[in-house]
Amino acid sequence: MAPEPAVEICGLTKRLGRQVVAVDGLDLRVDTGQVMGLAGPNGAGKSVTLKILLGLVRPSAGTVRLFGEPVRPGASVLGRVGALVDGPGFVPHLSGRDNLRLAARTAGRPVDDADLEHAVAETGLGTAIDRHYRTYSHGMRYRLGLAQAMLGHPELLVLDEPTTGLDPAHILEIRRMIAGVAERGTTVLFSSHSMAEVEQVCTHVAVVRHGRCIASGPLSQVVGPAADLEAAYLDLVGGDRPVS
Amino acid sequence: MIGAELAWQWRRPRTLVTFGALAAFAVALTVSIAATGSSTVERVGDIPLYLVPGRSGLVVPVIALSSTMKFFLPLAVAVFAGECVAGEAAWGSLRYGLARPVSRGRYLATKLAVAALLSLVAVLLVPVASLVVGVLAFGWHPLTALDGGASVTGGAAVFSPVTTVARIGFGTAYVALGMCSIFAFAFFLSTLTSRPFVAVAGGVGLTIVSRVLNADYLPGVAAVNAYMPNNDVDLWMHAFQQPAPTDGMVHFAVLQLVYVVTFVGLAWWWFRRKDVLT
Repeated sequence: MAPEPAVEICGLTKRLGRQVVAVDGLDLRVDTGQVMGLAGPNGAGKSVTLKILLGLVRPSAGTVRLFGEPVRPGASVLGRVGALVDGPGFVPHLSGRDNLRLAARTAGRPVDDADLEHAVAETGLGTAIDRHYRTYSHGMRYRLGLAQAMLGHPELLVLDEPTTGLDPAHILEIRRMIAGVAERGTTVLFSSHSMAEVEQVCTHVAVVRHGRCIASGPLSQVVGPAADLEAAYLDLVGGDRPVS
Repeated sequence: MIGAELAWQWRRPRTLVTFGALAAFAVALTVSIAATGSSTVERVGDIPLYLVPGRSGLVVPVIALSSTMKFFLPLAVAVFAGECVAGEAAWGSLRYGLARPVSRGRYLATKLAVAALLSLVAVLLVPVASLVVGVLAFGWHPLTALDGGASVTGGAAVFSPVTTVARIGFGTAYVALGMCSIFAFAFFLSTLTSRPFVAVAGGVGLTIVSRVLNADYLPGVAAVNAYMPNNDVDLWMHAFQQPAPTDGMVHFAVLQLVYVVTFVGLAWWWFRRKDVLT
């Protein structure tokens, strides 16, 4: 029997008020071990989709399953997921370490099980982990966000635009970090509005536009005969350029 | 979860500043009374009571509770209740708190319990700190209260120190009860907004509206006065009259219960359904 996909989304729709349809019948499957890029322009519905995946937003229609279990707020399957969505969010007057401890405790798991030191080492926070979060640079905040996502060795890592606003050196380090995590077998679902970034990080890609998945599969298959993913995207949408 | 939440909330600067300010108020009040002349008769509250601090340090907590129950304590309670969820939303940590295998009901219950505990500590801090400072400054003696109300003509009630402390305890419990409506309203707002200031201001605003629509000062609003959450918070001061009337206290308790059930219920209903988009 084939293992359950890490992520299975069927006919997902989310209406925000009466006017806006943020996600419009989206289908997506991410098998375990894949590094799936959710690519598309700003406003395509990527972030809302990821928030539905984490039980933060209730879908208007459709189903979402993680490892075969339906997602709802507080679902036990969320314990197998680490996430960085909409940037990091921490208590400013606590140190990075205390923030990670708090995250582990409020998730209802013993701090020892979270393997905090591993997450800190993975993200290269070094001695900065004992400084107050409010003293962190933008890049350090993102690293701490990634460390939080990696607490407890999640089987699925959901990363929403994890390099936003970072300088090239930090972007490179975060890409290496994601590659390292993926090599150890963690499934990664990575969203970005930058086609070039998705192309560099992911093994598979789903192109999202106007809340719908317009193409998905292995990266080479989606790119096809085009020069790169951006060119393939432009072919798919007929010249409507993405933001990169 | 409550232990972890309480541990970090306790260390927050706003918690320490709030507690520090309330304790400092007790000291400042005592110093001020001593500097003015401790044998001066103090008119306390709207009942009113006339007390002489120099005759007993036990007068100080009565004055402190009376002075803080209409603004400082509602502000402190509104801070704790209004910030508990909205503060997390503002930092961006709410979405991570909820993207875990923890039900929203449990998450909200933890926030509610810790905010309620901190609010209770704030209310207790005022009489306890002022009792300690007052007794140190003016001694442990019986309290004499001259009743300025129309019900007693020129009567002077004398309370032993133990009886006085017991009645201060009753007054503290009554004031804590009176904070429940403000707490519940600010807590509800905290689940609605990602701006903690809005929730805190809402809680304080309810207090102000309640004080404005007070038939004691504005007889024309008598029709709504009975439903204002904060107008009868001073009835505990009747405990320092002899006999001590209890009129209105049961109504006040029921009113607090109605506010709590309504607004905590709304918070519960809304928070379990809300989309966390920020």
